[in-house]
Parts: sequence; structure tokens; C-alpha cells
Amino acid sequence: MKGKKSNKSSDRKKKIDNDQSREQRKQYFFVIRELTSREIKRKYSRSYLGIVWSVLNPLLMMTVLSMIFTQIFDRAIENYPIYYLSGYILWHMFTGATNAAMTTLIDNKNMLIKVRLPMEIFVLARVYTALVNLGYSLIAYVVMLIVFQVQIRLTVLFFPVIVLFMLLFSLGVSFVLSTAYVFFGDVKHLYSVLLTLWMYCSAIFYPVDRLEGPIGTVIELNPIYEYISATRSIVMYGGMPTVSDILKMMIWAVVMAGIGYYIFRINKNKVMQKI
Amino acid sequence: MRTKVSKNRQMHKKNKKVSQKNRNLTKTYHRDHREDDLEQPEDLERLEHFELFDERETEIKVRNVTMEFKREKDEATSLKELFVRTLKRQRNYEKFKALDDVSFVVRKGDVVGIIGTNGSGKSTLLKIISGVLKPTKGSVEVDRSKIQLLTLGTGFDYELTGRENVYLNGAVIGYTKEYIDKKYDDIVRFAELEGFMEEKVRNYSSGMVSRLAFAIATVRDTPEILILDEVLSVGDMFFRKKSNARIKEMMRGGSTVLIVSHSTSVIRENCNKAIWIEKGILKSAGSPAEVCRAYEKKNG
Repeated sequence: MKGKKSNKSSDRKKKIDNDQSREQRKQYFFVIRELTSREIKRKYSRSYLGIVWSVLNPLLMMTVLSMIFTQIFDRAIENYPIYYLSGYILWHMFTGATNAAMTTLIDNKNMLIKVRLPMEIFVLARVYTALVNLGYSLIAYVVMLIVFQVQIRLTVLFFPVIVLFMLLFSLGVSFVLSTAYVFFGDVKHLYSVLLTLWMYCSAIFYPVDRLEGPIGTVIELNPIYEYISATRSIVMYGGMPTVSDILKMMIWAVVMAGIGYYIFRINKNKVMQKI
Repeated sequence: MRTKVSKNRQMHKKNKKVSQKNRNLTKTYHRDHREDDLEQPEDLERLEHFELFDERETEIKVRNVTMEFKREKDEATSLKELFVRTLKRQRNYEKFKALDDVSFVVRKGDVVGIIGTNGSGKSTLLKIISGVLKPTKGSVEVDRSKIQLLTLGTGFDYELTGRENVYLNGAVIGYTKEYIDKKYDDIVRFAELEGFMEEKVRNYSSGMVSRLAFAIATVRDTPEILILDEVLSVGDMFFRKKSNARIKEMMRGGSTVLIVSHSTSVIRENCNKAIWIEKGILKSAGSPAEVCRAYEKKNG
């Protein structure tokens, strides 16, 4: 509406353009928030406890896994529940984001065709949903940290950075998957198998030092494990990850996000045609 | 034919007068103007020049737009199939032209009806104009920020309440939060859904859903370019009257309108210009009466 007044001075026009793009960004963010709140409301729309499940779920998982594995890994891991939970919430964010984002273009087909919104928004909304879910899981996490009397140190402040890196990594994977899923429904099944494999390679519920040989190497190379072990070290042991670890995390995040976005962008038009 | 041309002349005279009031320079453009408002591509160069002086004139310029879809003959739907076929070199493509070298110009304030049988490329054309699809060849010149595609209930979620859907749907079709806050009561009143807004849409009747969708879509101030994929009228008899009136109000609010329709009566009634597309080819363009007659003759 602001552009209506036709004025010839390019300065003012530029300013209006700036205003408009800022407004547009604001609008896109509003759309993402609305889509996210829809996802969350929808997920729990038929349950009584609703959003409480987001807190309860990690706690229950932790209880189950602890009952089984505390005995086995007693000597290798102190504070097994926290060890597990640290891995679980991050892993859950990753799978939640990528699984949901994979189908997002197909799920929102109607909106894509009819409304002139950038396609990225739908992927971003699903990833953002996973982040919000992580926020709820963190409530459970903090409660457990208190219950198990884990001494919280300043290193915890690094946690948001790890989450940011991991989020970027998930975003990259999400971009690739969402594009691939438009062309091949099989990706969904393939990915679920891959995820299982990936989970076992991420040392979520077992101590990593038991593994040697090729599997050990795979775990060392696994970016998800990188994020998880960094989290464990800052929360449970009060040690900062080494510079090379931080670099590794950052490179994984940036490169993956870059590749993902690139693939997404070059296929944009094809995706629209296919849909 | 003759009457048409002379009619056009008259129109141009009128145009001329108006624009001469503004600028004298527009004259160059009107010299040797072809029949009707639909420009041939050669004329476009001049148009561009012309636009500098009077931006009231052209709103949408579609130049030689061709849209090709590459269709694989019975396409592989799984990775395995794709793999096997690629190995066997059995992937034969089939090119399919949804639009073939379509050009026309829409002036500001025009109400243009686009007519054609199913699958003739009308919706593809709209998608290209609104910027959802990129054409294979050619270009469309239009200020995309002015365009609004009027769609009903995009992104409605039946598990959410009426209120939540107003915000979700509103956000998706481009309203800001403040705007929805301001207009919320108007929307509810227009949809006649007072007292139902906290219910889940799942429990609405289908009439209620479409009323709500219509109210959200049309609450906005009329955009400068309005695109309608079929004229929408929804609900029971009484609401239909109301919604029809609202659509007409929007169409006659001085904005440029594109309507896609199968119905010649809709186009005759509302448009001042019509375009007939058949199998991706622009068959004819001009006054609604003439185009509609040709279309009806062809399709019996």
C-alpha cells in the first residue's frame, strides 16, 4: 500500500523498498509462527494432556531405557538417565525436524499452488516446530538435572550454540529430503531405515568407548554424535568441546545447510511443476 | 469486424483525451494502433517507452509465454523403477505444451475474462502471471506485489478452532497479525458465525466452513490486481446473494481483474474484455460478446 504514492526520488523509493522487504520478512515470520502453532495444536488435538506430552514423552522414554540399561552400563556411565536424555532430546529434534520437513511440500501442496509464498517457508516451519518441541523437552531435561543433582556449570551457556549448529544441520538435511520426497515417495521408507542405522551410530543409549574398529570410526565421523557428545560434555562434565570439535560442528552445519539449500533452490521450478 | 474496429477507435479517442490531459507525449503510442487492446509483440517495445509517462495504462504484459512440461511416459514412481529404467534406457520423455506463445496486454481497470475448456492452460496462465510458475519461454511483466489471488480456505485445518483458522488462513494469504486483529470482528460478522468461533472447524457444517473462508478471503481492501479462479459464490441462497454482491463490489472497485471461468455468462456479465485459450493457444481476444460467441460456436 505504501508504494501507491508515486514519487520519483529514488532515495525515497529505496526506503520504501526496504520497508516493504522488512514488512515482508515480518509477514513470513508470522506465517511460520502460525504454521508452527498449527502443527503443534494439531499433533495433540485429540489428546487430553495436549502439549504436556512434549514434556512427558522424553521422561517416559528415559524411564524405560534407564530401567533396561542402567544395570548393563552401570560401570561405564555414571548418571545413565541424564546421559541418555541428553542424547535423546537432540536426536528427537533432528528426527522430528527432518521427518516432518520431508513431507511438508506434499502435505501443503494446496497452499503452495494457490498462494504466493516462498517454498522455503514450509520447510522452515516444520524445522521450527521441532525446535519448539525441543524447548518443551528441555523442561523435562532441566527437571531431571535437578532431580539427579547434576552440578550445573557455566559451560551450559554453550548449549544454545550447539542447538543452533544442529538446527542448521537438520535444516540442510530437511531441504534435501523435502525435494527428494516430491519426486519419490520411497524416500520416506528408505529414510526411516537410515534413521534407525543412524541412531545406533549416534551412541544415544550406550557408552561409546566400548566400540572400536570400523563402528567406532563411523561414530567419530557422525555429526549427530558430535553434537550429542558436546552437549554431554558441557552439561554433565563441565568441559568445553575442543576448538577442533567446535569447528567440526560448525562446518557440518554450514556445509549441510548450504548444500541442502542449493539443491532445494535449483529444483524449485521442477518441484512446482511436479506438484 | 468493422463495427468492432470503429468501436475501438472510439475507445482510443477517449483514452487519448484523458492521457493528453496528462502528457502530450502519449501521442506517439496511439499512432497505428492495432485492433483492440491486445498488443502484438512488436508493439511492446513502444509500450515500454510509453509506460514512463503514464502508468495508468498497462498493468500486465504477457509476452510470448510458452510453458512446457516434460512428462515422462508412465513415469517411474519409485526409485527402483527409475533405476531399472535408466539402466534399460527406457525413459522416454514427452513434451507437452500447456501454453504456446501466448501474448497479451491487460490495462489498468480492465476486467478480463479468460475462457477455455478444461485443461486448456487457463490455470497455468494464472500461475505464471501470479509468479507461482516460471514460464519456459517468454516473460510476464507485472508488479507482483499488487497481485492477489483470491482463494478460499487455503490451509484450513479442521482440527483447529474457527478463530485459529482465521489467523492461520489470514497469515497464509498475506494478512499481517495486526490486520487480522483489527478485522476479526468484521470477518465473524460477515460469516455469520458469532458464537461458533471457539469450536473446532471439524464440527462445522460445510456451509459454515465456506462462509468463513469467503469472509476471510474478501475482507481485505480490494487489491490492485485481483485474480479469481472461477467466480466464487458459496453458502445457502441468502449468503450466496451476499457473497455475489461482495465479489461484484470487488470487481467494480476500479482494480484490474482476471477471471478464469467456463461460463460464458459470467464473462459476458462482468468483463470488458475476454481471452479464449484452447490447448495452450490463444484463439481469440477482444470484446466479451464476440469471444464468447466464437467459443460457444466451437464448443456447441
